[in-house]
Amino acid sequence: MGTRRIPTPPLALLIFLVAWLIPFTAGCARQDSHTAGNEKNVLHLFNWNNYIAPQTVERFEKTCNCKLSQDYYSDNEEMLAKLAAGATGYDIIVPTGNAMDTLIRQGALRPLDKSLLPNLGNIDPAYLDTAFDTGNRYSVPYAYTISLIGFNQEKIKELGLPTDTWAIIFEPKYLEKIKGRVTVLDSQRELMAAALKYLGYSINDADEDRWKEAVDLIVRAKPYWAAFSNTSYIKELATGNLWVAHGYSNDMFQAALDARRTGRQFTIGYSIPKEGAVLALDSLVLHQSGGRPDLAHQFINFMLDGRNSAELTNILGSGNPNMAAMQYIQPEIAYNEAVSPGPQLLGRLEMLQDLDRRQRRLLSRLWTEIKLR
Amino acid sequence: MTRESGKENRAARILVSGPPLLFLVVFFVAPSLIMVLTSFRFPGEFGGLAPIAAPAEKGSEHGFTAEAYQFFFSDFLYAQIFLKSFAVAAATTLICLVMAYPLALLIARSKKQFRNLMVLLVVLPFASNFLIRIYAWMIILGPESALSHFVNAILATFGVTPVTLLFSPFAVMVGMVYVHLPFMVLPLYTNLEKHDLSLLDAAQDLGATSWQRFWRVTWPLSLPGVFAGSALVFIPVLGMFAVPDILGGTGDILIGNLIKDQFLGTRDWPFGSALSIMLTLAVLSVAGLATWFARSATGQRA
Repeated sequence: MGTRRIPTPPLALLIFLVAWLIPFTAGCARQDSHTAGNEKNVLHLFNWNNYIAPQTVERFEKTCNCKLSQDYYSDNEEMLAKLAAGATGYDIIVPTGNAMDTLIRQGALRPLDKSLLPNLGNIDPAYLDTAFDTGNRYSVPYAYTISLIGFNQEKIKELGLPTDTWAIIFEPKYLEKIKGRVTVLDSQRELMAAALKYLGYSINDADEDRWKEAVDLIVRAKPYWAAFSNTSYIKELATGNLWVAHGYSNDMFQAALDARRTGRQFTIGYSIPKEGAVLALDSLVLHQSGGRPDLAHQFINFMLDGRNSAELTNILGSGNPNMAAMQYIQPEIAYNEAVSPGPQLLGRLEMLQDLDRRQRRLLSRLWTEIKLR
Repeated sequence: MTRESGKENRAARILVSGPPLLFLVVFFVAPSLIMVLTSFRFPGEFGGLAPIAAPAEKGSEHGFTAEAYQFFFSDFLYAQIFLKSFAVAAATTLICLVMAYPLALLIARSKKQFRNLMVLLVVLPFASNFLIRIYAWMIILGPESALSHFVNAILATFGVTPVTLLFSPFAVMVGMVYVHLPFMVLPLYTNLEKHDLSLLDAAQDLGATSWQRFWRVTWPLSLPGVFAGSALVFIPVLGMFAVPDILGGTGDILIGNLIKDQFLGTRDWPFGSALSIMLTLAVLSVAGLATWFARSATGQRA
């Protein structure tokens, strides 16, 4: 037997592998040059997914001659869990009211220096001095979302269903026309809040009998729902698979935008039920672990500027508590009550408060019951 | 055997078994102990845990409690979820076995130069991310998908009302089987490939039909592979939460989802830990049973 030749790998494959690596090295080199220069000039932001427009980031980086580095979360609980597990180094976090309350009581936040925030006067007083942070010692309102109902306008008109009430996701007489084409939020608090509101109670009502009443309502409606969904409803609404969804206003904005951009035969509308709904006001706060409070204040003041703040609404569809931003907001969005509710509607919106641990455990059991039945 | 060689043996044994043992201690025993400890504490006001030592303010909870277990056993609800998860895991395992066995046999009996290619094809799906593959199923099963239209068109000819495939127990089962099928194929293949084919010739010479040759020769010899594959499918399915989360409908909660909820939604670490302990115990007993079966099955026929 002759000696076995070691087979040479095809040259084309080798070239492909090497060529494939080149863009990476280029990317790394670019990143290096970017960070090496201003290594210390970095502001660390712990933010919701998709909660600041890239244009805004670019402009801020130019203004401050620094770099904005972002980490993301998609849920307040996730953010709290990561901080509880020891994540540090964040200058700014963007929690919702009840999560902010937790952070304040934990002593995890740094008080604001208001002399560094001349633009603070731009915020609508209706959003200041909330129960979570009286006197706004720690927080500056950033943007808000409302939990509401999004729908396929053409389909709902054709079926003659009402869109201004929670009845559309709770009443079998409406649901039987849209069976399997409805999703609701996969969140204990949000879904209970919708049910409690429909029954005429406060979203923060923690009375056990009323909770059970809400569970009965949910269980009666459940067979008609396709699923509990926190994010996939955006795509499913935009492709026409879903006709009605309980979800967040900025996600509905996204779904409507996607449907329009892909040239669908239908449009996505969204409206706040007349019974009232959950308003989630997110605020900018300074975390104790942040190393650059000066840059953090600069960022907050920058975001308080009307033009910068308006991009939150124009590009991302968030509600805007900034009065100076109103003049920059595109008229068709400004007139949308679901994005910027008038004072009368605003009175019917509530913010979620944190539950104590016994209530949390009870709610979790009710939730399990809902899912299993 | 001299004393020295005995010592050497022992040293070798420690060297060989040490690393895996250390791995087990670090990644199984220690976390399990932490979970046991956590499950006997009070949840903290903001999530996390209440302190063990008495805090300054009076009346606040601290120390240890069996409350989480009491809560678990206070309601049949949680046992129901366990039973349901076991049923789903058993069904997935069975379907995987029925689908994987012919495939593994086919690969093991095909020409040697094709075998590696076929095994490669079985593991090829792992090249793309698990979540992406599950999201792909959302598109395949969606109400406007070609598959849905096709199925409903066929049903319509029989006068059956249209069905939705996505967000249903069916979709969960499809996802579970799809994800775990390779874990059944591979151990079965490694087992079947080693079979001595002359045994089958001998059986034929003794007058066995092809069915008898399978059922009395191949199948008993393949049992260790069947048990290994079953354990590799059954146990991960028990803890799976992503598939029911993404493909499931309003009623498709499994034990994995419940545990995840305790840590992310409810911030109730002790109860979440108690649930995990119960699951770990259940998994260990299943694994123990599987080994026992495998041993007795192979032991008898060896």
